[in-house]
Amino acid sequence: MCADEMSGREKQLVATESKDERMEPLDAVFNPQSVAVMGVTATSGTVPYDIFNNILDSGYKGVVYPVAPGKRSIHGVKAYRYLTDISDDVDLAVIVYPANVCLRALDHCAEKGVRGVIMISAGFREVGPEGVERERQVQEICRKNGISLIGPNCLGVINTDPKTVLNASFARKMPAEGRIAFLSQSGALCTAVLDYARGKKIGFSKFVSFGNKAGVTEIELLDYLHRDSETDVILLYLEELRDGRGLIEAARRITRGENAKPILAIKSGRTPQGASAASSHTGSLAGEDAICEAVFQQAGIIRVDGIEEMFDSAILMTNQPMPAGKRLAIVTNAGGPGVMATDAAVSVGLEIPTFEPETTEKLKAALPAAANIKNPVDVIGDARSDRYNSALDAVLQDSNVDEALVILTPQSMTDIDDIARGIVEVHGRTNKLIACSFMGAYDVQTGIDILQADGIPHYILPEWACGAMADVERFRQWRQSAVGEATKLPVDAAAAKEIIDGAPAGYLSEEKSLAVLDAYGLPVPTHKLCHNVDEAVAFAGEIGFPVVLRVVSPQIVHKFDVKGVVLNLADADAVRSAYDAMMKSISENLPYAEITGVIVRGMIPPGHEVILGAKRDEVFGPILMFGLGGIFVEVLKDVTFALAPIDAGRAHRMVRDIKAFTMLEGARGTEKADVAGIEEAMIRLGQLVTDFERISELDINPLIAISEKDGNAIADVRIRISE
Amino acid sequence: MEKSEIQERVVKVVCDVLHIDADMVTPEANFVFDLGAESTQSIQLIAAFEEEFDIEMDEEAALSVDTVGGAIDFIDKCLGA
Repeated sequence: MCADEMSGREKQLVATESKDERMEPLDAVFNPQSVAVMGVTATSGTVPYDIFNNILDSGYKGVVYPVAPGKRSIHGVKAYRYLTDISDDVDLAVIVYPANVCLRALDHCAEKGVRGVIMISAGFREVGPEGVERERQVQEICRKNGISLIGPNCLGVINTDPKTVLNASFARKMPAEGRIAFLSQSGALCTAVLDYARGKKIGFSKFVSFGNKAGVTEIELLDYLHRDSETDVILLYLEELRDGRGLIEAARRITRGENAKPILAIKSGRTPQGASAASSHTGSLAGEDAICEAVFQQAGIIRVDGIEEMFDSAILMTNQPMPAGKRLAIVTNAGGPGVMATDAAVSVGLEIPTFEPETTEKLKAALPAAANIKNPVDVIGDARSDRYNSALDAVLQDSNVDEALVILTPQSMTDIDDIARGIVEVHGRTNKLIACSFMGAYDVQTGIDILQADGIPHYILPEWACGAMADVERFRQWRQSAVGEATKLPVDAAAAKEIIDGAPAGYLSEEKSLAVLDAYGLPVPTHKLCHNVDEAVAFAGEIGFPVVLRVVSPQIVHKFDVKGVVLNLADADAVRSAYDAMMKSISENLPYAEITGVIVRGMIPPGHEVILGAKRDEVFGPILMFGLGGIFVEVLKDVTFALAPIDAGRAHRMVRDIKAFTMLEGARGTEKADVAGIEEAMIRLGQLVTDFERISELDINPLIAISEKDGNAIADVRIRISE
Repeated sequence: MEKSEIQERVVKVVCDVLHIDADMVTPEANFVFDLGAESTQSIQLIAAFEEEFDIEMDEEAALSVDTVGGAIDFIDKCLGA
């Protein structure tokens, strides 16, 4: 085929392969050699005009073409009626047309062989069925033609890399160059974030508003930024998570290994409506937000509550070395803020270590007698830069210290700028993390400027610094934690399959539920379904008294309501009379109930009541829940979630993430639980719900954690089977 | 009014409002994609058509017309009503 017979796309592919085989698809978006803005207007203050103007103003290093039918030029740059009229190659097209002509614009992109498209235009899936169909067609064109699409319904893309310098967005100002990348599903938030960051003198490497993510998703963007040598920290604002498992895989690649980069994320939309229709405890508690939390935890993504925390932590991660641990030294010229900082540090999980004797000696020699030479070090209100320097040097050289926080209150004798310069000097000769809090806003500003110019993060309040250090610690721990493939324990899947495949939609009976759990090695107590009183008495004699009777009937879900459960039966006579009373009560209250029999099992000794649950989410698949069990599950909501299946490390963390974990450890004289057994049960439950898609909801509530010696026992279970 | 006369006058109005050459204004031309109409110019076009043909156009319906041919048909209907 000669060149003239090739389509635009084919020509482009040939050209690209010969030009630079290493070029990534998303380079067409972030590092284009040429950009066309499609739909440029001549009116200042309109989105199309401003985008074109921003590209020119930002100092873009490539060639820019305005596509503006009927206009001779825009801003003195020759305009084209159609993209296809441009004779040179175009790497990136920014489409700013109204939605109803975007498909035509995209067809022109395909014909021209454009590889990257930013579709700013709104009017797609966010506006209803017509928009959904339009978006589907957009996806189809992009997929067929190998176009990397950002948007639609977005603010655009910014790349501050000096090699490119592209502001293909309608943000008001080009941000400063920096090492932080920001990805946002919300365009409007982007403009606020840019303004906030500008005020805080925070720069960006890349800034992306990805809108409806019809083409390139946040997962592809995260992978690209992982490889981007200009980016150290990735910030993500998400409104909707469509591929939780994909996000976990991508984030694990990014946040671990040699080129690990932290991801800090805000996920909005904490409303629980999605869970309202569920019938089990697990179903009602596992709303979208809870699942999202689980996804972030399993992905190693640090979830933050707001923009302030996000940037507080990001600037620390960008500018400072990763500390070896969480042992914080505090140097302050005021006792009160020192104590406040200590409280804040401890409350977020940092440690305030005791200094080595050598450090104490150094501090004693350098500071006045009234100074506090223990951690937090108080250099006293009249301290000048020499005292700060000596103290900071001494604590940073201490092998018990991983990081330092310097607090300054502006007193009349405080030489603020000299102290800042002194900290900069110390910063230059240490490889440990330093953060500062020069408390105030006016007098301290010049000192803050000196610190920030040297890349030393500053926080108005010491508590904020501690919060950021805690996020750094979370990232450090995540990188060190073991994350592996899902653990697979030996189970009798065939036995469970036979029961589940043969079950109609609805709740499995108790004896079948127990049989399924038993097949998967969960701690089911010895029991038997007895069909008459004699059988029940005989089995009770076999396993020994006291025993429990539990009625089994397809019509009885809430057994306690019809006196279908009787506990602590001490002998054969007690079993007989309880059996008779139970049958009488049921025949009076639920005469239509068909009695399958009664389950007889031994009394489970008292212990901690926990819940192990699972539900199948339409988007994320099987979800596991662990928490404090019993009747107060939904009141206390002391639960934690994970996407199944899980590995041993995740099971370990799930059990420890609930507030009541100290109880399981035997707090205040209570019996220590078999925590390892609970972890194993969580892994097994994860396997079960992963293996059988028809299990829609499952509650083991309670599982009695008897003791470390006697293990755990399932006291009650409900399994719901879908069609 | 003959349709050819409507077309001739529509082309003239479009050229005047959008400041473009007549050869661009074909019946298939999309006001935005082919002729570069900005949102404010779409409103100006409606006002100019109303004045040119001494008619009143429903603004919402008129704004949904996206081609020159569509505008000719729309105006033809208005004149015949």
